[in-house]
Amino acid sequence: MQSRRVISKPQKESLVSPIIAAIASALIPGLGQILARVVNRGLIILASFITSAGLLIWRIATEGARYTGWKTIISKAYKLNPFLYLITILMIVTYIYAIVDAYLTARPGAKKSKAVGMIFMIILVFFAQGWEIGQIDLGALVRDADEAVPALTKVMWPWAKAISHPEEFRTSYVEVQTPCTDVAFPSGEPKTDEPYLIADPTCGVPSEVEVSLGTEFHVIGRNFVPGNEVEIWWKDSANREFHHRVDGDYLIVTPDKNGSFDISVIMPYRTLTPAAEEGVKTWQIQARQLISVGGAVASDELKLAVEKMIETIFIGMMATFFGILLAVPVSFIAARNLMSHSPVTMVIYYLVRTILNIIRSIEPLIWAIIAVIVVGLGPFAGILALTLHSLAALAKLYSEAIESIDSGQIEAIQATGANWFQVISFAVIPQIIPPFVSFTIYRWDINIRMSTVIGFVGGGGIGYLLAQWIRILDYRSAGIAVWFIAITVAILDFVSADIREKFV
Amino acid sequence: MLQIKNLTKVYPDGTVALKNVSFEVPEGEFLIVIGLSGSGKSTLLRCINRLIDPTEGQILWNGVDLSKLEGEELRKARRKIGMIFQNFNLIKRSSVFSNIMSGRLGYTQTLPSMLGRFTKEDIDMGKNVVERLGITDQMHKRADELSGGQQQRVGIARALMQEPELILADEPVASLDPVLAHSILKTLETLNHEDGLTVICSLHYLDLVQRYGSSVVGLREGEVVYRGSREDVRKMTDEQFKEIYGAEAERVGASIEGVVQE
Repeated sequence: MQSRRVISKPQKESLVSPIIAAIASALIPGLGQILARVVNRGLIILASFITSAGLLIWRIATEGARYTGWKTIISKAYKLNPFLYLITILMIVTYIYAIVDAYLTARPGAKKSKAVGMIFMIILVFFAQGWEIGQIDLGALVRDADEAVPALTKVMWPWAKAISHPEEFRTSYVEVQTPCTDVAFPSGEPKTDEPYLIADPTCGVPSEVEVSLGTEFHVIGRNFVPGNEVEIWWKDSANREFHHRVDGDYLIVTPDKNGSFDISVIMPYRTLTPAAEEGVKTWQIQARQLISVGGAVASDELKLAVEKMIETIFIGMMATFFGILLAVPVSFIAARNLMSHSPVTMVIYYLVRTILNIIRSIEPLIWAIIAVIVVGLGPFAGILALTLHSLAALAKLYSEAIESIDSGQIEAIQATGANWFQVISFAVIPQIIPPFVSFTIYRWDINIRMSTVIGFVGGGGIGYLLAQWIRILDYRSAGIAVWFIAITVAILDFVSADIREKFV
Repeated sequence: MLQIKNLTKVYPDGTVALKNVSFEVPEGEFLIVIGLSGSGKSTLLRCINRLIDPTEGQILWNGVDLSKLEGEELRKARRKIGMIFQNFNLIKRSSVFSNIMSGRLGYTQTLPSMLGRFTKEDIDMGKNVVERLGITDQMHKRADELSGGQQQRVGIARALMQEPELILADEPVASLDPVLAHSILKTLETLNHEDGLTVICSLHYLDLVQRYGSSVVGLREGEVVYRGSREDVRKMTDEQFKEIYGAEAERVGASIEGVVQE
């Protein structure tokens, strides 16, 4: 009985019996289907098996690369990467499926099935292999998340680094005399408003190597900023300044909550020969404390980010500007309707189009790397790279705008007796201005966005800074850069969309 | 008086659009050119104002051979020939008024016109033309916001701004519905009657041809196959019409004409 459904093709009779088809598919997956005259399905199965088997062999060889002997390689590969078991099992299931499918298809009077299950199994095998080759490890997203949190927090809220408090050392001192004389040397004066030091005794002798320790001075400090560390320094009679050391470490004291401290210091060795310090000299014991002066100011990182952001915007702007300048004339020789009148111009047209397509197909980042080789690091390299890419992209878009110009409007203006300039300004420019403006703004948008990353390869702008900050793990500063990029691009998106809407 | 003598146009690809076409158009005539698409109507009209350069032949207008003119002389001649188009060919993104003023380009200095500056007289003239064609309300709209009929009025206004002596109308109503077709052709008829402009118009509805034409030229494959006066046209039967047109010939519909004629 004939089927009444005209749309479905009648099933072609299989060339072989189901058993033979199954055996054929067992020998070469897909062969059975081909013999059963579902050739396309057979070919798909065959191609899929060859591809996935090839991939499996490659992965096994990669995993077991350090071993010799194919048996060892295989066993080690499976041990090292148990995921290969899953792939292998899936492939075996698919293999069996293909045999069964060959048998069912080759049965006389079998309905032509869609083989959805077969396709699903093949896709599953490839999916598993893709998972393995891509080293997909969803666990990595969560496993070390707690370690990433501090860095990410800094990136997301970096403003602590945007401001800084200028600090400077305030030095207070007391003078001591060496050696002691008959006249008493005055000690320091207590003061009411400023920090001061008082030494006791007020005179003494320096230490001498392998002979004796110097005089021990008892020093009290008052009116210092509580909690801020104070460094103790000496200044000898020759105005040389040096840290006071205790067992090789600098002496640092922290004033108590009243801003006071008491310490004992032994007068250090001279730095000059005793002969040079003949007579009565005075030395200073200094207390230097780091204190903040003035209010909060923008940090160097913030200033740098602002400067580089401005540089970035100008890289994008200059590239767009140069791109327009070059693209406008080029677009005319890349417009088919203007170049189709003679074989020579057609050759030029195809040549220009081909060059533009090649330039456009290479990413600006790659152009930037090349530009850095030519002109060195810095914004100029970025401008060059973006200009080149803009030229190609804009020339293509402009020329398409010229191609779609309505010749009827030109005819109509010509018919009024207008001259060439009037035709251009009345009939051509009104037609190409809106698409030109639209494409230009679109390109400007792209260029600013590209200029933020072009610095990663040395093309200047904020990307340069961002790359460096990320490399030295300064996530706060990097965060500032990221914020600036995001804000600039968002503003630009908004503005360009707005302008384009008005023109188009 | 416009005399077309042995006009031939061969396109670079070898297509012969016009073959030895000769006819005369006396002053003040409403000449209708009929013929199938591809019969050479558009080419003929465009040869007259030299949007297309004829290969051979003469176009004598008031004793001057238009086919020989170049540069400034050609532009001066074009100013006196207004043209209206099937697709209106307005500058779509410009305002209606700017479109109309572009009719004065041939009379305006290059630099001021490029800056969109026209003389006071020209602007006043523009306002009068706008008023005459009843599109005052649309003056400041963008040209492409207007309906088809209104756009063709702007096209006519632009041609009128040239202070033309001759109007070439290339299928002016082919993109319009019958009511608008009559309205546009009546406007052309008024210009023909009141202002004494010579009109050469290509059409392809028999009833429109009979209603408006004061004489007819029929083209087929680039050759003149019919030449008739107003009376001949009035008497023309559908059969004769179909000889020129083939089976495609049709009428717009008399009933609609009746409504408009009131």
